[in-house]
This record gives sequence, structure tokens and C-alpha cells, in this order.
Amino acid sequence: MSRPRALENIRVVDFSWVRAGPWATRWLGAFGAEIIKIEWPENERGRLPSTTTPQTLEVNLNTSGNFNDTNVNKKSVTLNVRNLKGLEIAKRLIAISDIVIENFSSRVLQNWGLGYDELRKIKPDIVYVSMSGYGHTGRHHHYTTFGPVAQAVSGLTYLSGLPDKPPAGWGWSYMDDTGGMYGAMCALTGLYHRNLTGQGQHIDLSQMVSSVPLNGPALLDLTVNGRESRRAGYPPGNRAHWPGTPLVNNYRGPIVAPHNAYRTDPGEYNDWCVIVCHSDEEWQRLGQVMGAPRWATSPKFVTNSGRLQYQEELDRKIEAWSMTLGKYELTECCQSAGVRALPVQSAEDRVENDPQLRHREMYLAIEHPALGLQNVQNAPFKLSETPAWNHLPSPLIGQHTREIVEGLLGYSHEALCAGFADGTFWPTRRPRFPYIEEMLQ
Amino acid sequence: MSDVRPLPGPLTGLRILELANETGQFCGKLLGDLGADLVKIEPPGGEPNRHVGPFLDDLPHPERSLSFWYYNTSKRGITLNLETGDGRRFFRRLAATADVILETSRPGFLASLGLDYESLSSQNSRLIMCSLTPFGQTGPWRDYLSSDLLHMAAGGEMASSGYSEADVPNAPPIAPGGGNAWHMGGHFAYMAIMAALVYRTVAGRGQYIDASIHEACALTTEAAIANYVYRGEVLQRQTGRHHAASPTPRTQFRAKDGTYVCALVAGRLNPKYVGELAALLDTNGMAGDLKDPKYQDPAVIAANTSHIIDDLVANFIASLPAEEVYHAAQSRGFTWGAVRAPEALLGDPHLHDRGFWKEVEHPELGRSFVYPGEAAIYNGSPWRISRRAPLIGEHNAEIFCEELGLSRGELSVLAENRVI
Repeated sequence: MSRPRALENIRVVDFSWVRAGPWATRWLGAFGAEIIKIEWPENERGRLPSTTTPQTLEVNLNTSGNFNDTNVNKKSVTLNVRNLKGLEIAKRLIAISDIVIENFSSRVLQNWGLGYDELRKIKPDIVYVSMSGYGHTGRHHHYTTFGPVAQAVSGLTYLSGLPDKPPAGWGWSYMDDTGGMYGAMCALTGLYHRNLTGQGQHIDLSQMVSSVPLNGPALLDLTVNGRESRRAGYPPGNRAHWPGTPLVNNYRGPIVAPHNAYRTDPGEYNDWCVIVCHSDEEWQRLGQVMGAPRWATSPKFVTNSGRLQYQEELDRKIEAWSMTLGKYELTECCQSAGVRALPVQSAEDRVENDPQLRHREMYLAIEHPALGLQNVQNAPFKLSETPAWNHLPSPLIGQHTREIVEGLLGYSHEALCAGFADGTFWPTRRPRFPYIEEMLQ
Repeated sequence: MSDVRPLPGPLTGLRILELANETGQFCGKLLGDLGADLVKIEPPGGEPNRHVGPFLDDLPHPERSLSFWYYNTSKRGITLNLETGDGRRFFRRLAATADVILETSRPGFLASLGLDYESLSSQNSRLIMCSLTPFGQTGPWRDYLSSDLLHMAAGGEMASSGYSEADVPNAPPIAPGGGNAWHMGGHFAYMAIMAALVYRTVAGRGQYIDASIHEACALTTEAAIANYVYRGEVLQRQTGRHHAASPTPRTQFRAKDGTYVCALVAGRLNPKYVGELAALLDTNGMAGDLKDPKYQDPAVIAANTSHIIDDLVANFIASLPAEEVYHAAQSRGFTWGAVRAPEALLGDPHLHDRGFWKEVEHPELGRSFVYPGEAAIYNGSPWRISRRAPLIGEHNAEIFCEELGLSRGELSVLAENRVI
């Protein structure tokens, strides 16, 4: 492909690890930026521990499937930034880069001597995005997060679940995904601003704080109306409203019924469909799809207020029908009649059974040196001039050390070998992968 | 005296037209709060989303929707009926000088009015247009109807979230609330728009973006896809914690006040951690046998994982209010948190230190209200809410008369003819 790239000639020094930071730089890479991932094999928390290594492979630094998906479009340099020589090399790299991004605790980069004041001396217009748990300012800046903790503290966990049960929460680190989004958004916004004004800046992103604005309407209901979320019927499961509780909005759109998940045939773990009717007309259409049973036109179900009042009975009757159909079949019957319905989809469903994702080429295979040819997730947007696409598999650890140190920074091959001997580019006592040995030939 | 002006936001100078319903208004807010001049174009009478609650004092009214207020800060508002010839003509004139158009109409609708990207960009080659729709512009589902709940089902969020069978038998998969499908779509659309803007600073040309909310949601389940692709695993839902191929120890514990604490312990239990854990539990006299030197042996720790988590940690958390556990743990370096309801955030001193909460004036009511603030602090070009959400057609005179040169009389004629 010779299409132009949106971030052609943009270089990113990526100190990030685990998930949120790498998920941010993955997208900058998909737009064509050169992502140089600085890693250290003794202190790596994105590659290991791995629960996504294929059963047929040994678990090591290069065989995590999730690492591969999270780190496509990047190059990897192993560099000990905690030693003076390593720090000097990092600075030379920063001097010829556009963006520095990291997701350590709040004072780590500063303690390395790479705080923003130092960075701007090295590269005056650098865009520096820090992605710490609580931000670099505020009294709890030293607190730490993983996605689930940010979700808990910000109120996101609480809004998921059935009333009178413990919070169901989010079954994954939503705020690692979303924190990653904000990291990329901040970097792109800072870059745009730099291109227009010539000014760099430090953008201080906090994973915990960035979760809070995702509760906007609930927070305004609190600050404007004084309504608290610890109340009867909240959170309302999958419903817009829990029967028998005060009729208030629960921040998931209009207060309507049906609005729920229903079992489908053959009743296995993920055999569910969600069905929502936003109006009486949509309900009438659902009645037709269900074969126009008499109960559907009975007075208690013809209006939305009736359906809300008799929601338990309504849901039982809908489920008696939904269990006669498979979830994809039910979806098609409903949607072709103008009724809102979609299947609950597992990962397997999305990769194998979703016709829309297949049509849009959501999963395309890339060859990885250790993992082989594997499906990788693609971008959810198609740009007409500068498409975002995955052009590189994730790097093996240190795969590009020579390319960057000699090729980009102009160090001699002898200097590279000396750096391997003195622990700048690889821990001296740690066995080296064959491709690292080759690099030193 | 020098005139000290506040720094402008990073997107200052951009003119963005938003033709968006509930699916795209959040993306518009993200752009507007960072300084873009965002003009929201609503149909005469206002966007249907104005009828979604909650409402100020629980009185339903299109100017009192708190949901609309929240998602439409920092925007000016005009009304325009694109299904009239005059409406289309004015839209074209606005598009001729716009930097970005963000639109969420059903695929093919704008083309049927002659307002697709090809036609609009022929008079403005720098124009970037982003169509953010439930399923994108192509494919077998492109005309399907959707809702936030539907996206959480098909995107995979529900398959991962819910309850362990032992906690709530026969529970359905649970869709986290709060409209997060729209957030997921909005974040990705914002990224794509910014990438196109950066490219335009170099290449001078705009482009068209076809963004899909379904794909955005399908991308937002962390390692679920990798678990399937690399290991063929389909994950099980667990109460208040990560999906998993086989059950993992709990991470959510009930505190003394009846609320919960998220305590990530399993997988971290090495001798050093156990020593620190014993010290934490000991602050409330709850260390039990954890100070016994036998716990310096990893094998003993492994054999007692359930005792440590389900007895000692659970009892410690049960002995204190959740907020106390949260701060005691974090100040000792434990990555734990209280599972808070939103009301607990208003008094959070850390958010206060970061100037997070913003007073937003509603001059038509003679009141101001507290709004949530920014995800990130832009030290060189601040985020700010420049105005509360627009009233219906509030800026019609500003845009149609002052910018497009209509007289007040002509404006009234447009209103009478339902063009605006």
C-alpha cells in the first residue's frame, strides 16, 4: 500500500507498559507514526505474565497473544533508562521525536530526570502525554490504579448490576481500553496544536479522573436535582426501569419497555438477545414479529406506561417467544420488521459469526515471527485518504534495538556491542534470544 | 496594565458543524470543550434527544433535559430543516467555510439530499466529514436500528459482564449503563477526526471518515478477542471482576458500611506483598496469622490463598467503611479502591485539587450548576466549558444574520416557513 499516512514522519517515544499506554500508541501507529517502544526485559508487565499464549507455545516474552494485538505497528528497543548511558541514549531519541508518552506512576519519569522541564530542554516543542492513575497533580497523585480500581473509584463499577445485588461491574478493564483512547486523543490533540502554534506541552491525563465524565447525566442529576444513585431500583440490570420502584430516568436513554435481554434457542451460556422498543409503534411491530399473539394487543401492554407497569409479565411472555428462535434468526426477524434487537455476542461470535464485522474486515491476519499468522483487530473507522491499518506485527522484545541505535541515532556497531556487554541494552546475566545474538554479529 | 487573557484551547479556530443525535453528541462535546467553535444544527423544534431525562426538577421539557445539557456543552445551536431547499442552501453555505462536519444521520440520507461529502468538498477541499453511525456506511447491518443496550450486546460487553453463578444463579449477562456505547464510538471518532486534522496541517486536504459504533464497541473488551484468537477460549462472567476462562478469586469485598471495595490481591501474593498486607491488616488488628514467619515461604502462601483472601482480607475490609479501606490501602501502596456511587465523587479532595468541578452558568434560569470537568489537564491549552448547552435555535440570529448576512425580516420568514 502506498497510501499516505495521517501521521507520516511523526515519531513517538513510548515508555508505556501493561495495557492502557500501549493501547494508546497502537492507534498512533495505525495512523502511521513511528512508535519506538522502550522496554526492559527484567521489568516488563505487558508481555508477562501471559494468559493468552497459544497452548502449543512456550510462555515467554514473545508469545503473548494479547501483547501482540495491543502492540501492533510498533518497534521495540531494549534500553536500561536507569543507567546513565541508557538515559543519554533515551535523550538523544527524544531530541528527534515529536511525542513522549508513558503510563507510570506520577513521579517516575521525573525521578529518571525526564520530567517535562527536562524534556522541553531536549526538544522544545515536545508533546508529552503522561497517563498516570491519578494524574501528576492533586493530593492523591501517588495513588495507583489498574482498570478495575479506576472503574470502582469513579463510579463506573457501581452503575452495572441488578438492584439489591453487589455491583456486577465491568468484566474487563474498561478503563484500560478507554484510558488508552484518551492517551491517543491527547497525543493527537497536542500534536495538532503544536503543528498550528509551534508550542508543545505536558498533557496530564489521569485514568481515574478520565472515568468520571463518563457518568455525566448521573452527576448532573445529583448536582442539579440532588438525586443520589444509591436508591431503589438502581442500577436496573438491563432494563431502563426496574418495576415497582419510583419512575425515574436511569441514564440509559428513554424510559421504555421492553428493554431487556431474553434467552434464545438453544439456551446455552451466551444464547441471549436484547430487544428494545422506543415507541408504541415499535411495540406493535414486535407484536407482528411474534406472530400477533392476542396478549400483545391487550390494554395493559399497548402503551409504554402499561408495559412498564407490567414489565415482569411482559418480559416473561417475550422470553417464551424468544426461546423458540436462535439469536441471529431472532435479530434478523426483528430488524427486518423495524424492531431494535441484536444478539449478545461472545468473542467467538464476533470473530466467527458476525456478518457485519466480517464485511467491514474487522479481523485481518498478520504474520508474527513467534505466533504465526493471527487475526488482529482493525480500526473502527475508514479514512478515505489516510486509512489506518496494521502494517507491523507486535515487535519481539528488543527486535529493533540495532535499527534504532545504529540506524537512527548513528551509534557505531562497536558501541552497540559494548552496550550489550555493559547492561545498557540487555541485562548482562539474562539469556539472549537468537535474534539478539544475530544483531551482534 | 497588560491584558492577561486565558490561554486558548487546543482546537481554537476550528469551525465544526454537528448534525448529531444521541450517538454523536458526546464526540461534539469533546471537540467543543477543547476550544472548537462547535455549531450544533438541530431540526426545527429541537433534537429529539432533548426529550430524554432526567430533567431539571423532574419537569419534562426540551430545555430542561440534563442529558442534553451534559452532552452539549460548549456548542452554539441553530435550527435548520435540511428537507427544504432553503435549508440545504444554508447548510451548503455553512459547509463551505467549515473545517469539520460531524454527522450521525442514517446511511444514504445526506446523499439523498445532495449533501454528501463529495458534493460538499467540491466547494471546500479542506473539509473533513465524519459520519459516525451505529454500523458504518456499508455492510449487511448498516440499516439496522440500534440503541445503547443493543451495542453492548453485539459489541461483547454483555458477554463479559454479570455475575458468578454462585452469587446470582441464572443471572443474565449485564450491560453496564450510562450510555457507554456512545462514549466508545465518540472516543474513536474523535481520534479519527484529529488524525485527519493533523494530516490536513501537512497536506492541506480534508477527507471523509466512515466510523462505526459497533466496531468501536467490539474493540473495547480488552483481551477477550485475544483469548479466543490465540487459545480458543470463551470467557465466563464473574461478579464484579474480570471475565475468565476458569474461575478466579474474588476481588470485590463488602465493607462495614454495606458498600464494596475492589481489592486486587490474587496473582500478587509473594512474600513481600504478604508482609505488607499483614502490616495493612494489622492497622485495624485484623492480621490474624498473617504475621507468622511461615508466610515467607511461597509454597505456604500458595496453599493458603483462599484463607488469605476469603478470610483475612475479607474480614479486614468488613471491619471498616469502604472509604477508609481505600485510603489506608492506597497510602501503603496497594492498588485498591472503594466502589463508589457517583455522589461520593463530589466531595473527593483529589478532584477538588485538580479543579475538576466546573460552575456552568444558565443565565436563562438565573442559576449556575456544577458540571464534571476534564479527563486530562492540557497545561499549554486548557480544556473549558465555554457555555451551557444551547437553547433551541439560540444562535440563529448570530449565524444567519451576522454571519450569512440575512436581515431579521428574512430570518422571520425562514421561521414561518419552517426552514429554521
